[in-house]
Amino acid sequence: MGERAAATDRGGRAGAQTGRADAGARGRLTEVASTYGLAVVFVLVMIVFGLLRPDSFFRAMNINTVLVGQSVTALLALAEMVPLATRQFDLSVGFHLGMAQVLIIGLQVQNGLPWPVAAAIVLAVAVLVGFANGLLVTRFGIDSFIATMGVGTLLYGISNWYSGGAQITGSDLPASFTGLSNVVWHIPLPALYVALAAVGLWVVTERLPVGRSLYVIGASPRAAALLGIRTTRYVTGAFITSGVLSGIAGILLGSILETGTPSVGPEYLLPAFASTLLGATSIHPGRVNVVGTLLAVLILAFSFSGVQQLGAAFYVQYFFNGGILIVAVGLSVYAAARRRAVAATGAAGDAAAAGDAP
Amino acid sequence: MTTPGSPALLEIRGLTKRFGATLALDHVDLTVAAGQIHALVGENGAGKSTLIKILAGVHAQDAGEIRLLGEPVAAQVGHLPISFVHQDLGLVDELSVGENVALVAGFPRRRGLIDWPCVWQRAREIYAGMGVEPPDARAPVGTLPAAGKAVLGIVRALSRQARVVVLDEPTAALPEPDALHLFDILRRLRAAGCGVIYVTHRLGELFGLADRVTVLRDGRRIRTATMSEIGPEELVQDMLGRAVEMLHQHHAPATASARHTGLQVSGLHCAGVGPVDFRVETGEIVGLVGLRGAGQERIGRAVFGAVPVQGGELRLEGVVLPPGDGIADRIARGIALLPADRPLESVLTGLSVQENLLPHPVIGGGGVWLFGAPGRERARAAAILQQLDVRPRDPALLIDWLSGGNQQKVFVARWLQSKARLYVMEEPTAGIDIGAKLAIHRLLGSVAEAGAAILVISSDFDEVASLCDRALVVGRGRILGELRGAALTVDNLVARASLGSRHAPAPVAAGEVRHG
Repeated sequence: MGERAAATDRGGRAGAQTGRADAGARGRLTEVASTYGLAVVFVLVMIVFGLLRPDSFFRAMNINTVLVGQSVTALLALAEMVPLATRQFDLSVGFHLGMAQVLIIGLQVQNGLPWPVAAAIVLAVAVLVGFANGLLVTRFGIDSFIATMGVGTLLYGISNWYSGGAQITGSDLPASFTGLSNVVWHIPLPALYVALAAVGLWVVTERLPVGRSLYVIGASPRAAALLGIRTTRYVTGAFITSGVLSGIAGILLGSILETGTPSVGPEYLLPAFASTLLGATSIHPGRVNVVGTLLAVLILAFSFSGVQQLGAAFYVQYFFNGGILIVAVGLSVYAAARRRAVAATGAAGDAAAAGDAP
Repeated sequence: MTTPGSPALLEIRGLTKRFGATLALDHVDLTVAAGQIHALVGENGAGKSTLIKILAGVHAQDAGEIRLLGEPVAAQVGHLPISFVHQDLGLVDELSVGENVALVAGFPRRRGLIDWPCVWQRAREIYAGMGVEPPDARAPVGTLPAAGKAVLGIVRALSRQARVVVLDEPTAALPEPDALHLFDILRRLRAAGCGVIYVTHRLGELFGLADRVTVLRDGRRIRTATMSEIGPEELVQDMLGRAVEMLHQHHAPATASARHTGLQVSGLHCAGVGPVDFRVETGEIVGLVGLRGAGQERIGRAVFGAVPVQGGELRLEGVVLPPGDGIADRIARGIALLPADRPLESVLTGLSVQENLLPHPVIGGGGVWLFGAPGRERARAAAILQQLDVRPRDPALLIDWLSGGNQQKVFVARWLQSKARLYVMEEPTAGIDIGAKLAIHRLLGSVAEAGAAILVISSDFDEVASLCDRALVVGRGRILGELRGAALTVDNLVARASLGSRHAPAPVAAGEVRHG
């Protein structure tokens, strides 16, 4: 009887050990799958639509159209990413984009300023907007969701006030300004700007102490403060970065559209947001990151372009973006829950193993 | 106090409760008469809270009976005329004083709607009934000071017209003057004919307050006595179950030879703490111990720059620390702090073990670039994991994967990167297995030997007795005394921390030094 009990006991321990190994292997598999998930999806999207529409999908013109069209979304997604690294939302980026686009055209057309001066003003305003967001969130303790929504709505008011609610037509815009969005040597310049911004942000988030501090704040603001990280400054800085990138996106949008339209802007928020959140499911699963964000923008853009070429109606875009947002966030929540569950079994296994030690 | 013949207000007979294999309560008797304050004392796990939970109807007893005014009753939640004031008070900070009262007393209504004037009026009446100046009944509870909240918790409990009031450590977080204010209210309750059961770890405050005392240990009633007939030493002995041990058993003597002053604290004042004076030599491990809420954590945090200092001077190796320093400044000056609340204040969830080890270059060194090339950072992290025997030994794993003991090793290692001169270690081994605990103790020992000063803030008296060279006992924001050498034992720590300053005739042993 005693022997049998001892045997089952040993069996139980062995079971716990293999269970731990299983949990480890499963966890690693989940990690690998989610790390490269988006890259695989991107390749699949290209192959599927390349096969379905071989004559049009891979044409340089299609690719360039997609890249130029998505450069604004990509910049906005990168802008959104920075505050999100600290777990703060910036819902003002869409409205901000719209205001920057109205200002960059309006300052040239209505105020007769040369475009570099207009751009400098737009960027100065962008710094102010980011600073205001940061101030409201850090100093006044207003929830970022509400603070940036309020600021964004104010910005929408400003663009309508400045433009009188009417479209500003960009007549006689200098070629140096409209040329900002040209294709030079087969390279669409907007894609180049996105690449530059992405490389810069990648270096900051992956290789500089500043970036790690942002993620540390996002992981636990209290722990961050006790590590000597001045959380107020970093969060404010994140909002300013987000503001500046939104301003740059607005200048680019002005150059692409060559008009300043006050109603443009808000519709960019959701795709940018969706890309950032979808990007957080991959490369560094569980946190927003540059490569994941770019991959997500590309997947959304090319799969939508492919669906369009298959003859989908214009409104499909909205189903697409809304659906992707829900699926992306759902996936990331699921992945996080999986990681936690695996972590729990792993830790329990550890504890059991520690208990076994004499 | 009871006249013979008239039944006691509350009578508990042979109360027994078993949780699995543990006998939490073993035939416990307790009698509370009207107009009596009855203290209930014992170490953690002695059965005090089980008894209270049975009275509150949270648990059902396995055997034994409860009689109220001679009538046997069955406790169900909220059914008996007994009020409870728990340590956390259960107040809602966002609601007003009147609403918090009404949550317990019920909302007065008129035609189905809440009668607000009556809510405010009733709150004022309840305060007035206790002879306490009422605060603004419409003020949010969050705006009250700590003492005001404790008073509200008690006053509110009385609104149910209870005959018996049970207070579970209501003074744990209160500074001395506020605690005295609370004792006045208890005396008024007694005068009004209520029976009070008063649970506390601070034995010192019972003398002059309580009428009778019951000591529980391991689920059994050890003694019930009239307060005037029992001395503090007997109380402590009853709680511990043996004559207080004088011998210091586990501690290895400190080895550092050329010591000089590491941290010097003079006249430190900060929220509810002070004045505090002490010093920690380099190469020395000093414990700062006390009951929960005694103020030892705030002293450590004030040294680290996490809590604003209101007065006094701090010196680190002779250099004055500017009072305006923030945490980052103090880290730069060579002070590190390992927080007690591991999940909330140490763990960076969702980040890798490597990032948790090296979260910020201020701590780990490194310039503009993050710890050099990615490969070098990884190698450095791997070397640390190897050295501390952290399992699993993979720097890329998420920190959430590790068990508590392995996580804590990572966080200790995180701070050791800072090469600090003073380490403030809050509960360095709370809630982790014995293997990791010993490893961390060894690590701290070697850090001290290398010449750093270590201040261990711990409520684990076993740990303090075996790890520290000296221990300073803190009570109500002051240092009550110091234990060192052979006198640094668990029993002496318990005695010193529980008895407090006014009644501290703890067993005097060789090597014990008293502070004013």
